[in-house]
Order: sequence, then C-alpha cells, then structure tokens
Amino acid sequence: MIKVENVKKAFGPVTVLDGVNLVVNPGEVVSILGSSGSGKSTLIRCINGLEKLNAGRITVDDFDVSKPKDLAEARKRSGTVFQLFNLYPHMTALQNITLAPVEVLKRPRAEAEAEGRALLASVGLGDRADAYSSQLSGGQRQRVGICRALAMKPRYLLLDEVTSALDPEMTAEVLDILAKLAAGGTTMVFVTHEIEFARQISSRIVFLEKGKLLVDLPTAEFFAETGGLAQPRVAQFLSKMRKD
Amino acid sequence: MLPGAGRPGGSPPPFDPLDSPVRSVTVKPVSLNGARVRLDLTILIPHLGFLAEGALLTAEVCALALVGSVLLGMLVAIARTSSNKWIGRLAFAYVDLFRNVPFIVQLFFFYYGLPEIGIYIDAFTTGVVALSISGGAYASDAIRAGILAIDNGILEAAEVSGLSKRVTFTRIVLPIALRTSVRPLGSVLINMILTSSILSTITLNELTGQAKIVASDTFRPFEVYVVLLVVYAALTYLVSIGISLLHRRLNRDLVEQVS
Amino acid sequence: MRYAEFTPFDLVLLAQGLGVTVGLFLATTLIGLFLGALWGVIRFYRTPVLTQFITFVAEILKNSPVLVQLFLVFFGFPAFFKLNMTPVNAAVITLSLNTAAFVYVIAVSSIESIGRDQVEAARVFGLTRWQVLRHVIAPQALAFSIGPLTALLVNQLQVTSLISVIGVMDLAKIGANLNLRTLQPFIVWTVVGVLYYLAAKLVATLGARLEKRLRAHSAFRGL
Ligand SMILES: Nc1ncnc2c1ncn2[C@@H]1O[C@H](COP(=O)(O)OP(=O)(O)OP(=O)(O)O)[C@@H](O)[C@H]1O
Ligand SMILES: [Mg+2]
Repeated sequence: MIKVENVKKAFGPVTVLDGVNLVVNPGEVVSILGSSGSGKSTLIRCINGLEKLNAGRITVDDFDVSKPKDLAEARKRSGTVFQLFNLYPHMTALQNITLAPVEVLKRPRAEAEAEGRALLASVGLGDRADAYSSQLSGGQRQRVGICRALAMKPRYLLLDEVTSALDPEMTAEVLDILAKLAAGGTTMVFVTHEIEFARQISSRIVFLEKGKLLVDLPTAEFFAETGGLAQPRVAQFLSKMRKD
Repeated sequence: MLPGAGRPGGSPPPFDPLDSPVRSVTVKPVSLNGARVRLDLTILIPHLGFLAEGALLTAEVCALALVGSVLLGMLVAIARTSSNKWIGRLAFAYVDLFRNVPFIVQLFFFYYGLPEIGIYIDAFTTGVVALSISGGAYASDAIRAGILAIDNGILEAAEVSGLSKRVTFTRIVLPIALRTSVRPLGSVLINMILTSSILSTITLNELTGQAKIVASDTFRPFEVYVVLLVVYAALTYLVSIGISLLHRRLNRDLVEQVS
Repeated sequence: MRYAEFTPFDLVLLAQGLGVTVGLFLATTLIGLFLGALWGVIRFYRTPVLTQFITFVAEILKNSPVLVQLFLVFFGFPAFFKLNMTPVNAAVITLSLNTAAFVYVIAVSSIESIGRDQVEAARVFGLTRWQVLRHVIAPQALAFSIGPLTALLVNQLQVTSLISVIGVMDLAKIGANLNLRTLQPFIVWTVVGVLYYLAAKLVATLGARLEKRLRAHSAFRGL
C-alpha cells in the first residue's frame, strides 16, 4: 500500500503540494488527472523519493520515503517510468534492463538477462535487445523504459505522462502494454492526459488542482454527472481535454 | 607503479653514423641573400632508425602519461564535484596551480627535487609522472564538463532504481562522461605529445632528444629541425584523425535523443 | 665550491629573470598580435597563395613543439643561412611567430563568427571592404576574441620559459642556475613557480577586466 498523508511540498515561495492525502492499494490502478502545473509530477517524485517533503508522510508498504534507511526498501517496491524515457544512452536495451537487478538485487547476470529478454519479448521488442536508445523509436524506448522498471519486480509502477512525448501511433503501442499490465493486476499510479485511456484501465481517478486533491473517486463515479462532473473544475477540465 | 619504470631513460642506444651507408645525394639549391645554400634532406636518411627509436619513446611516454592523466583527471573531477568543500577546493587548487606554472618548472621541480627526498626515479619515469600530473589538470576539466553535461533525468532513473552512488558513478556517469569528452581528452593528448619534447631537457632521448643528437652529429641542425617540425605536425594530425574516428565510433550509440 | 647558501642578491637575480621573462613576453605578444591580425586581414581579403601559405605555416607552428621551433631558429638558421643569432633574437623570432599563429586562428574564427549576412549588408550600403573590416568586423571580432586571447596569452607566458633552454637569462634560467648553485630544488622551483603563477594570474585578471570593459563599451551586445 502506498500511503500519502497530508503531504506539503514547496519550491521556495511556490507551494506545489498543499496537504495531499492518497492511498493506493495493491491491485488498484489510480490515474492522476489535473491541469498543467497542478503538481502531478511533483507528487510522483515525492513518492519515489526524488523530492524531499516539507511536511506530511509517504510510506510504501510501511517504508517511510523520508527516512534514508527506509528509502532503499521503498524504492525496491516501486518502479518509475519517465516521460522522457531517461534510458542510459551508452547501454543496450537489455543492459538498461539488467543493470539494477544485477547491481541492486544481486541477481545472477544470466538469470537477469534471460528475464530481461523475456520482458522485451513480451512488449514486442524481442529482436531489439542489443539496440541502443538512439537506434530505437520513441515508442520502443518507452517500452524499454517500462521493462526496465518491471525488471525490478516492483509492487507499484509509477508512470508520469509516459506517452506525452510520443506520436499517436507510438502512444497506442505503449498504452497497449499498460492495458495488459493493468489487466494482469499490476498496481499503477498513472499520471496522464489520456482521459479515455484512464477511464478504461483505472479503478480510481484522482483530480489534482493547485496542489490539492479535489476529487478521489472510483472511475465510474468520477465520470458520472452526480460524481466528479459535479465539480465545476473537473467538468471544465474534462471538456477542455476532450476538445483537444 | 607505472610500467616502464626502471628503463634506462638517459643513455642513448649505441649508434655509429659512419656505419650507415651513404646514399646518393640530391642537391636542391636555394638562393637567399645571394648566398647559395642547399636544403638537403637526404642526409637524414641514415639516421631515420635512430629518430624512429626516439619517436617510439615519445609514444611510450605519452601513452603512459595519457593513462595517468585520465586516471588522475577522473579522481580530480570527482573531487571537484564532491560535496565536501575542502576536497573541492583542494582539487581546484591543483588544477589552477598546474595550469598556471610552466611545465618545465614542474618538470625540474620533480627531476631535481625528488632525489632530495630520497626518491630516485629515472628520467623516463619522471617524465611520465610530470606529464601525467600536468595533463591530469587539463583532463579533469574535460571529464568534469562531461559529467556536468549528463542529463539529470538519467541520474534520476538510476537513483530511483536503487543504484548506489558508487555504481551510478562507475557504470553510468563515468562511461558517459569519458565518451563525450573524447575530443577534449584528445586535445590533452596532442598537447602532451608536443609538451613531451621538453623531456629532452632532463636527458630523456625521446624524439626531440634523439634529433638533438643527430643535429650535432651531422652539423645539419636546420634540416633536422625542419623535418622534426613536420614530423610532429604530421604526428599530431594523425592523432587528431584517430580521435575523430574514436569519437564517432564510441558515440554512434549516443546520438542526441530526439523525441 | 659545490654548495652555496642563498644570498640576498639572489632576489635581485630572480627579479632580473622575471623582468626578462615579462619583457620578452610583452614584446613577443605585441609582435604576435600584430602579425596574427595582419595574417587575418590577408585572409579576409582572400589573397590567393599567400593565404594558403600563411595557413600552412600557422598549422605547423600550432602543431609542433615550441622547443623544436626554438632549436630550428637558434641552431638551424645560423647554420643554414650563415647568419648570427643571439639567444634573445631567436627567442623573439620564435615566440612572436608562435603567438602570431594562434592569434591568426583566433582572428579567423572571430571574423567568421560575425556572419556573412552582416558583411554583405554593409557592402550593400556601399562600404568598401576596408570600411567593413574597420567599422563592422573589427570591433565585434575584438570583443569576441578577448576571451580566447587571454587564455592564449596565459599559455604563451608559460611557453616563454622554454627560452631558458637556449640560454636566455629568463626566470626559468635563473631558477636553473640557482638550483645548480644551492642544490635546493624544492625552494628554488617553488619560488620560480609561484612567480610564474602570479604573473599568469595577472595576465588572466587583466584580460578579464579588459573583456568586461570592452563588452560594456562595445555597441555589440549580441554575445
Ligand atoms: N524543481 C522545481 N523548482 C521550482 N519549481 C518547480 C520545480 N518542479 C516543479 N516546480 C513547479 O511546481 C509546479 C508543479 O509542477 P509539476 O511538474 O508537478 O506539475 P504537473 O502537474 O506535472 O504539470 P504538467 O502537466 O505540465 O506536467 C509548477 O508550477 C512548477 O513550475
Ligand atoms: Mg508533469
């Protein structure tokens, strides 16, 4: 369980997260929606320990990300997929995937490689294991990015706008994989602008506005006139997103 | 210790110019100020082997010193990005000092100074050490720039996957920084080749040292040094081509990410 | 006598050596700046043959050891051209040409940095090639090149130490003499090193200050 309790985060004078509470249970797919600058990325970065909290607490399976001793454990339990992929450019796809399992989990290299190849095959990149990042398309890079996160066998997958740097065709490639993962029971925290896709795969949707969690509802209710849409900001946001 | 330590750097190999066959001499007259002088490069032919030995020694010294200065440069680059203020300052002081004091002064400091404190190393080793230390100051700048240029997102990816600072550094930061700084490190090497000529002043008979001997044996310093200039220029030119090729080869998988 | 203490007179010697170093540095810098700029202008006028020749010579000078250049001028020239050459003359000739080669390269790249369109625009206004050079290119190129020139001069100051090898009584040579006499290499070379260091820092500081002034006064702010 990921538990975000009353988290505050400010950059200098700018408050970006203003008392956020969120619980993600195993098996859930939680989508985070919100307009640009509302603090979605910051929330993800707080959960994986890339940002220090100003107040509040975040635990991943009871490991407190603010405690240096716990952080390593917390990070083993979550995997992050980045908007701009952030693949290691000097390593092949397979090396990208096996580095952390070998170095952090101390897995035997042969085993890690076999699993890495299987992961790549499962996302349709079985023949690209030895390609470097620059030799892959954006969609392929992001699929490698997903494999890299999955190789650590995380309980939770954190995804921050993983398709927004991709064209529609590549977006479809990646969303396809995420849908499969969701169907397979992978727990995900999913920041996205793909409203329709969020609706299909999410069990819950939360709406972030100026650092506050305005809405936190099961998917069906979020899109119901009496539920999320009753909030003027949410209705406005959704109609604007649908127009785009 | 560096390999090659203990080799007799001082004494030139035995060589008898009278031994060499005298080739037919072509004469190209050059007129200057009315006086007729001749530029005759064929007189160098019997000495080519001797000069090649010097070139080989230059290559050895520079190869070892390149390794030394890259290692030192890496350490210093790490130290300069260190969070410890004093380590950072010390590293900066080293770079600042060795970039602003003439190499010949550094060289004499080591060559005459080290025996005073009971360290007896030959001219070859002294040369490698001095070139490594001076080259390290430049190499550290190149490597540091390479480190600072690494995309922060890549480091964050490493961090969230739980890689330790050490593994991140050795497996991600250094390899990327070294690859991207191939060109500036190449300039360090080229400078080193040129600077290594100064080692002739501490009795090391590398290329310039050998040439000095040939010049005084043949009484043809003009021909010898003209050729030497061209040889050095050609040598550095070849090295720079090699560096370009290496850069392209190493970085073909590192082309800017377009997204 | 194989061993001798330092004497107060050694300070005078060091000061003299420093004076020779600085004097030769200044003289060869001025000559080098003039020659290098001149070569740059020759190239700007696209003078055939001469441009290629200058470029070739500059490449050789840039890519060969200054020590060998010194040997060529000091030992080679007298033997070949049958003329007299003092160490100081050889030092002035070599260092000036060497500096000129690097100045030439900086001049070329800073002229090129200005861009054809500006030059063409000025030509369209009816300015002669010389007027373009004088009023459009030179001020900008100067502002652009102060930084690289400063770095070059810091380097060339250190390069002057090589003239000690052909016997010029510069700071390094005084150091070598003191070293032989006192057998105190650490002290001698540390003092000599510090003097060079301070001189280099002085050049760097002056260059930085000049650059700031030029940037402030120059009409060109596009940097
Ligand atoms: N390192 C930082 N320093 C200063 N301000 C920051 C920093 N990171 C984020 N911010 C600010 O915090 C606010 C929230 O940023 P965040 O990236 O979390 O928004 P977001 O919801 O992910 O937006 P988007 O949809 O555009 O990705 C923005 O106003 C941003 O400018
Ligand atoms: Mg964001």
